[in-house]
Amino acid sequence: MADLKIQGLAKSYKDVRVLESIDLDIASGEFFTLLGPSGCGKTTLLRTIAGFQHQDRGEIVVNGERIDHKPAHKRDIGMVFQDYAIFPHLTVAENVAFGLKARALPKSEIEARVAESLKMVRLDGYQNRLPAEMSGGQQQRIGLARAMAIRPTLLLMDEPLSNLDAKLRIELREDIRDIQRRLGITTIYVTHDQEEALAVSDRICVMNKGNVEQIGTPFEIYRKPLRKFAASFVGTMNFLPGRIEGGRLIVGTQSAASPANESGPVEVAIRPENVQLSLGHADSEAIALKGEVLKVTFLGREAHYTLKTEVGEVVAQVADPEHDFIEMEGRPVEVRLPLSKIVLFRSNGDVIGAGQA
Amino acid sequence: MMKRRMRFDIWTFVLIAAWVILIALLIWPLSSVLHASLIDNETGAFSLTHYVQIATIKAYQRAIGNTLLAGFGGMAGALILGVTLAFVTTRFHIYGRALIQTLAVVALVSPPFIGAYAWIVLFGASGVVRKGLATIGISIPPLYGAAGVILVFAFKFFPHVFLITSGALAAINRSVEEAAESLGVSPTKRLFTITFPLILPAISASALLTFVLSIADFGTPRIIGRDFNVLATEAFNLYGSEVGGNPGMASALSIVLIILSMIVVFGQRWVLRKNVYHSNLIKKPERKRAHGLKALGLHVLAYAIVLIGALPAIIVVLFSFRRTSGPVFQPGLSLQSYERVISTVSDPIWNTLIFSSIAVVAIVITGTLIGYLISRRPGIATGALDALLMVPYVVPGIVMGIAFITRFNEPPLALTGTGLIIIMAVFVRRLPYSARSVAAALKQVGPNLEDAAVSLGYSPGKAFLKVTVPLIVPGIMAGALMSFVTAMNELSSSLVLYVGSTITMPVRIYLSVMDGEYGTASALSTILLTMTVAAVYAAFHLSGRKESALL
Repeated sequence: MADLKIQGLAKSYKDVRVLESIDLDIASGEFFTLLGPSGCGKTTLLRTIAGFQHQDRGEIVVNGERIDHKPAHKRDIGMVFQDYAIFPHLTVAENVAFGLKARALPKSEIEARVAESLKMVRLDGYQNRLPAEMSGGQQQRIGLARAMAIRPTLLLMDEPLSNLDAKLRIELREDIRDIQRRLGITTIYVTHDQEEALAVSDRICVMNKGNVEQIGTPFEIYRKPLRKFAASFVGTMNFLPGRIEGGRLIVGTQSAASPANESGPVEVAIRPENVQLSLGHADSEAIALKGEVLKVTFLGREAHYTLKTEVGEVVAQVADPEHDFIEMEGRPVEVRLPLSKIVLFRSNGDVIGAGQA
Repeated sequence: MMKRRMRFDIWTFVLIAAWVILIALLIWPLSSVLHASLIDNETGAFSLTHYVQIATIKAYQRAIGNTLLAGFGGMAGALILGVTLAFVTTRFHIYGRALIQTLAVVALVSPPFIGAYAWIVLFGASGVVRKGLATIGISIPPLYGAAGVILVFAFKFFPHVFLITSGALAAINRSVEEAAESLGVSPTKRLFTITFPLILPAISASALLTFVLSIADFGTPRIIGRDFNVLATEAFNLYGSEVGGNPGMASALSIVLIILSMIVVFGQRWVLRKNVYHSNLIKKPERKRAHGLKALGLHVLAYAIVLIGALPAIIVVLFSFRRTSGPVFQPGLSLQSYERVISTVSDPIWNTLIFSSIAVVAIVITGTLIGYLISRRPGIATGALDALLMVPYVVPGIVMGIAFITRFNEPPLALTGTGLIIIMAVFVRRLPYSARSVAAALKQVGPNLEDAAVSLGYSPGKAFLKVTVPLIVPGIMAGALMSFVTAMNELSSSLVLYVGSTITMPVRIYLSVMDGEYGTASALSTILLTMTVAAVYAAFHLSGRKESALL
């Protein structure tokens, strides 16, 4: 059990600032995810915590003790790698025992922990196999067992699932989450896959260009984005140009009472699942745009409508679509944007007020 | 705010130690050669006279031209033979692969001088094969001059190419080739557009090696070249002559020789400037089974290459059992050559074994550490070290020998006449081969593996020992093997550095050939050959991976 505090962490490669003064506060037992596009600095941050890279400035504190002066091998941090990094010359059991041997544990203890770790990742019975005989998913399970076997103070995972196929990815991420919960180990997880981040995390840190954009629970990140970047990176979001004038929010030729008391140009953001099509729903306050259905994508439990409106294209998501909704391409339709679901951003990317996405 | 600390780990120490070793054993001795080339022999004053003479005297210009011809010719021949053999044996099912590898190693170690001598026995003016062919009406020119030298180089040096490229060929991700095939590229085209570019590091490294070996070799042009003078023979003659010697001129020619090699080295680096291929999930290439005529052709091709390459060694072994009378071989079989060797000249055998073993242990340890530095700790100091390591590649053994004898002649480092000086020369000459083969093997091991070990609690040094070393053992073994084989067969530097009590087998063989004691030379060569082959098999056995130790 360990908590982690990071204060003012910064790093540059030559002239490029990869991390700009990062502050994080991760609670003991938390599953904390660094989410961002490639090049945002998330892997650098993770490798700096692990001790494989060194910050120019700032502190890394685990359980009240600074660890940034310690070499990587003395930090007691388990790491799971994107390319698994399984030792190809050692058997499955030897891989898992590897870190335990460094700790000079008695043989019986090592055997017990290896068996326990392999059982945990559902690989018992594979002890004497060589990694080359195993699938990618199994190799990553070895990687997980190997990192967990040393009972590290922190578990770091660097895009552990990105080399696996979709189905395995979902299966293994559930396993990772279950194991992490059961052991209560503080975990920092790096991914660029927002769905994965939403699925496994207690809290998510959205990063962009070496900066922290937002830290929050998956619900907060998805529903209450604080910056336009987080809103656009996590999930799908429609952005429409608008402005606020005299207490009215104006989008194209339509307007409604403004939820925010500012004025000037704004970006109107709304999730596809909150866009309403048609006919009823006159009860809620909404901006109603005239639109035309350009394209319908049927995905089984839902359908995506690409709609042309006077202010640009809008994507709407309709759950459990009816038969006749499918055949709507080319038809005119009313596109309603409920005010309660709209998020407004200033032109600098900051959110206005506290609307709900 | 935290200040950036210097991180001082085991690798910093290795880097410093490597620099100290190379400065003491390389820069400092070699500076004596440069110095000698720049002073007038008589007055001892600074002078460019030797270089002016090289630029104006025709014989020297021809030597430069001949050197380039021999270098590029030997390289091209060795590449064609070596890459062909590597490709055939790694991609097709060939019966007796172990035999082919053995014969290639035999060709590699076929002792210097007597090897060239054996070629003359076969294809010289009154060569056995040439005469035999003449009786059935086929006339071939005698094996002298440029063509002969190039041919001998090609068959002498192709095993280097074979060993280096077959390792690379066996490590290509099969999916890449399959992808090319699925994109509609014919197998032949694929070879040139995918396979060869992927093993370009190996091909260009072996090209460089064979070029440098070709231009540094002075035995072959001396025996087979006749009036085909090259820089190495000119320099050797000027150093070696008791009368009419010209150390200044010889030094200047040596410097020119070094510069020629340097140019090729930089050429190779330029070719490789952006060739770093990492591959983690290796799907190894398969050996296809060829059928019918194709199978026959492939077998004939493979066996022809290695058999011709091993021919000098085979001849030497056969001749060692022939009855001799003085320098003349008589009809009939006899062990008298061996009796003479054992009764009179057994010292060289022990010297060779002891010197080579010590040198190889030092080479493997130092080479592994330096190879790691080069491939995993890039930086200015390591880059410069890597560049400096190229120097022994390009310095002919004779030059290295003279440099050592000049520098280690006086107290406190009066090492002339000791075994240590011979060991040091071999060590510094062969160190780059070991470092390079380790660096090449490391390129196949993902750096994350070591990070994983570190995260599990191993210090960087231990992580290297526990994870990286076992994975690069085939590379290290191949390097050690090459080093041991070349150390035992080292002639040129030892020829300068030996005294009576430190004489080695190659030197003894050379002297025997020069004295016309062909029987003794053949017997000694056979013993050397046997020891070498035994070493190769011991290495196979110890590494526990018969194929990968060599391949």
